[in-house]
Amino acid sequence: MKPRKILVVDDSKLLHRMFEMMLRQYPLVHAYDGQDGLERLAENRDIDLILLDVNMPRMNGLEFLAVVKADAQLAKIPVIVVTTEGAEKDAEKALAAGAAAYVKKPFRNEDLLSAIEKLTAAA
Amino acid sequence: MPNANLPPGLGTALDELRATLDRAAELARQLDAKPGSDADLEARLADVESDRRELSTRLADYEHQVGRLMNLYVATYQLHATLDPAEVQSTIAEIATNLLGAERFVLLFWKESDSGECEIALSQGMEDEKSGFYEKGIYGGGDPAVDATLSDGVLRIGPIEGSEALACVPLMVQGTTVGALVILKLFDHKEALKPEDRDLLDLLAAHAASALFAARVYSTTDRKLKTLESLVKLVRKPT
Repeated sequence: MKPRKILVVDDSKLLHRMFEMMLRQYPLVHAYDGQDGLERLAENRDIDLILLDVNMPRMNGLEFLAVVKADAQLAKIPVIVVTTEGAEKDAEKALAAGAAAYVKKPFRNEDLLSAIEKLTAAA
Repeated sequence: MPNANLPPGLGTALDELRATLDRAAELARQLDAKPGSDADLEARLADVESDRRELSTRLADYEHQVGRLMNLYVATYQLHATLDPAEVQSTIAEIATNLLGAERFVLLFWKESDSGECEIALSQGMEDEKSGFYEKGIYGGGDPAVDATLSDGVLRIGPIEGSEALACVPLMVQGTTVGALVILKLFDHKEALKPEDRDLLDLLAAHAASALFAARVYSTTDRKLKTLESLVKLVRKPT
């Protein structure tokens, strides 16, 4: 089976590096804010999953999610929100806006991998 | 023994019948012995199941260790990946937030003058801070754990009596304490610092200050070099 392609939208370079290490089996596309994420989505029509931070400059995760869910094609892509405890309300808003799951930072690698595997298997 | 009164061929058939009965008796004996063999199989199955459980536990442990080592590798890599002081500070903040789960923390550096004060190079979540120790970008002393770490360069993990700090991480450059990372609060979903967090705190103690120090030196040198280059250009410019 073709490996699932994942879009990572996060302003933390540390987390991008972490995802590169952790998700070696998946091709990754990197974006550093919501606006950048939308541009990467336009260039890569074969994204299977999105890992999304909430607090980001230019366009935050919730604004990005609203645009994605308003597009009939993009709305099908499952989104995992990766957020801190302080932004838990944002995570709840993200779930209400159509995110498939959320993981709190700092996360255990096993937990994030399990969420990704569950969603990519179901897709 | 063949019976003379029996029709020919029947004796042979009887012999075959006897042999069949003997085989049946042998099979019956084997069947009688089978409960023992079932028990043996069950015991082996239990062993295999126990091995499987142990391997599964070990695999989970290894995965956890791999995750821990990955965190350490990524943190070290990222600290030394840039020579921009602002980016190094941002990496320190990201490690504190994303890997340690710190909601409120300050990064202190001794001021160059002998004022006995530290500048707050970076802070996060300090809007509601009420101790009064960290004000106007300065830490002037007062928290016993922070003062002790700044003085002796020893990593302290709380709770520490008389201190609100959960962890005081000395920042060392060539054996000298140049500052400290003070963690004051963790996210609510992280109850306490775990033993594996100790590795990350040690890493920060050893690498954060040297990465920041190198970046600051590079930044200063680069700025001076550019100034000199501009001056040289100006001097060489034909009048």
